Amino acid sequence: MKPDEALAAARAAAAKRDDDLPAGMSIAPTERVSIEQLMEWANIEPDPDLMRSTRRFGAPITWAKRQLVHVLRQYLRELQSQQTRFNLNVLIRLAELEDRVARLEERGQARAPAEPR
Amino acid sequence: MNVHQILSGAGPYDAVTTQALAFRDLFGGWGWGGRDVAAEIDPRIGDRIAPLRVLHPRDGDVLLVHYSAYAPKLRGVLDLPQRKLLISHNITPARWFWDHDPQAAVVCALGRKQLPQFAAAADVAAGVSLYNAREFGSETVIPILFDPAGLGAPRDEEQPASWTVPERPTVLFVGRLAPHKRQDAVIRAFELYRRRHAPGARLVLVGAPINWAYDAAMRELAEELSPGNVTIESGLTREQLAARWRSAHAFVCLSEHEGFCIPLLEAFHFGVPVIARAVGGVPEVAGDAALLLDERDGESVAAELLALAVADGELRAELRRRGAARIAAYAPQRTARTLREALESLA
Repeated sequence: MKPDEALAAARAAAAKRDDDLPAGMSIAPTERVSIEQLMEWANIEPDPDLMRSTRRFGAPITWAKRQLVHVLRQYLRELQSQQTRFNLNVLIRLAELEDRVARLEERGQARAPAEPR
Repeated sequence: MNVHQILSGAGPYDAVTTQALAFRDLFGGWGWGGRDVAAEIDPRIGDRIAPLRVLHPRDGDVLLVHYSAYAPKLRGVLDLPQRKLLISHNITPARWFWDHDPQAAVVCALGRKQLPQFAAAADVAAGVSLYNAREFGSETVIPILFDPAGLGAPRDEEQPASWTVPERPTVLFVGRLAPHKRQDAVIRAFELYRRRHAPGARLVLVGAPINWAYDAAMRELAEELSPGNVTIESGLTREQLAARWRSAHAFVCLSEHEGFCIPLLEAFHFGVPVIARAVGGVPEVAGDAALLLDERDGESVAAELLALAVADGELRAELRRRGAARIAAYAPQRTARTLREALESLA
C-alpha cells in the first residue's frame, strides 16, 4: 500500500469496528475556567505526597523535606489560610462583578430605544 | 566573535538546553567565544550553564536568546545594547496545563503573552518551525539542530517482500509525559490495536513526567486499559533511547500541540514508521514521510493506521525512503549554516 492510501483504508477499517474501551482518564484542554472551578482551586490544599526530590537517589532528601514540612505544619497552615482567604475574597468580588455587569447589560438592553421606522 | 546564549531555564533532559549546548559546540568549532547562561538552573546540569548574573557582554558581542517559557528575569536582557537573535522554542498553550500543573499553566500563559515583546525587541526573531515563527509574525526559521550521528546507526534495512509481522510488535512514543502530548490517547489507540490485531503487542512511552501526580495518573490508566502491556520510562541515556528506537516497529504521536517534534526526525533516522496527528509544526517537519491523522480521526483510526504501518512491508519501505529525505532536509550542516548566517548578520 502507498502511504497516501493508508489513511482512507484505516478510516474504512475503523468504520467497520464497533468495539470500545472502558472509560478512563481522558485529557481535555481547559478553555475557560468556571467560577466554581476557580473556587475549588482557590482553596489551596497542597498534597504532602507531592513534596519529593527529583534527584536520582533522592529518597533521603524526600524524607528530610517531608520532615521539614511536618515540623513547619503550624506555620504552613497559617500561610495556606492567609492565601486561601485572599483567593476566595478576590473570587467572590469577581463573581459579584460578573453578576453586576450581567444585570446592567440586561437593564441596558431593556431600556434601549426602539429601532427607528 | 562572541555569542552569549541566554535561556529561560536549563536542565539535563531539557530539549532547549541540549540545543544550546549543541550550538556551543558549533560555536567552538567556528572559533567563537561567549557564555551560556540561564535564569533558572537545575543543579544536575553542572557548570556548562552559568547563572544569568554572570552575563557581562562586551560591545560587538551578540546575544542569542532561547525563549521557551515565561522568565521575568530575562527582561533585563532586552535593555542590553548588544544585538540580539531570538529563537522561540514553542510554548504550549496554558489550557493544557490548568488541570494538571497550575504552575506550568501560569508560566505558559505569561510566556505566550510575553513572547511578542521579546520578538519585537530582538534584531532577528526566529521560530524553530514556520508554525512557531508565525505565532509572532515572523517568517524566519532556524530549525532544531538534529544530529543523527549522536544516536548511533539505524537498524538493518527491512526487505519489503520478506517482511513478516512480528509476534510482539513494539509501539513507541517519545515525548514529555504531559497533557498536550496525549499519552492517554496513545494508550487507547494502542490497546485498540492490540485487541484487534496483535495480542502480543507492547507500548513503550518514554519521557519525563511534568509531575509525580501526572505520572501516577498515566500509569494507572495504562494498568486499567492494558495491564502489563505498557511501559513508561524516563531519564534514559542516549544509548538506552537508541535501543528503544531500534526495537520499535512504529512510532505513534497523538500530541495536540507540537512546535517541532524532534522524535519525528529520530523515528526517520531509525527507519521507524510514523503515525502522527497533523498539528502545529508536525506536518512541516514530517512532510510526506508520516501517516498523518487530522482532527476528525479518533483513536480507532489511529489503531488501524498502526496495524497497516506494522504489517505492510511495502508501506514501511516507502515511509522509510521518504523519512530519509526528511533527515536530509534537516541535515545538521544546513541548520548550522542557517544559524551562522543569522548570527553573522548581527555582528
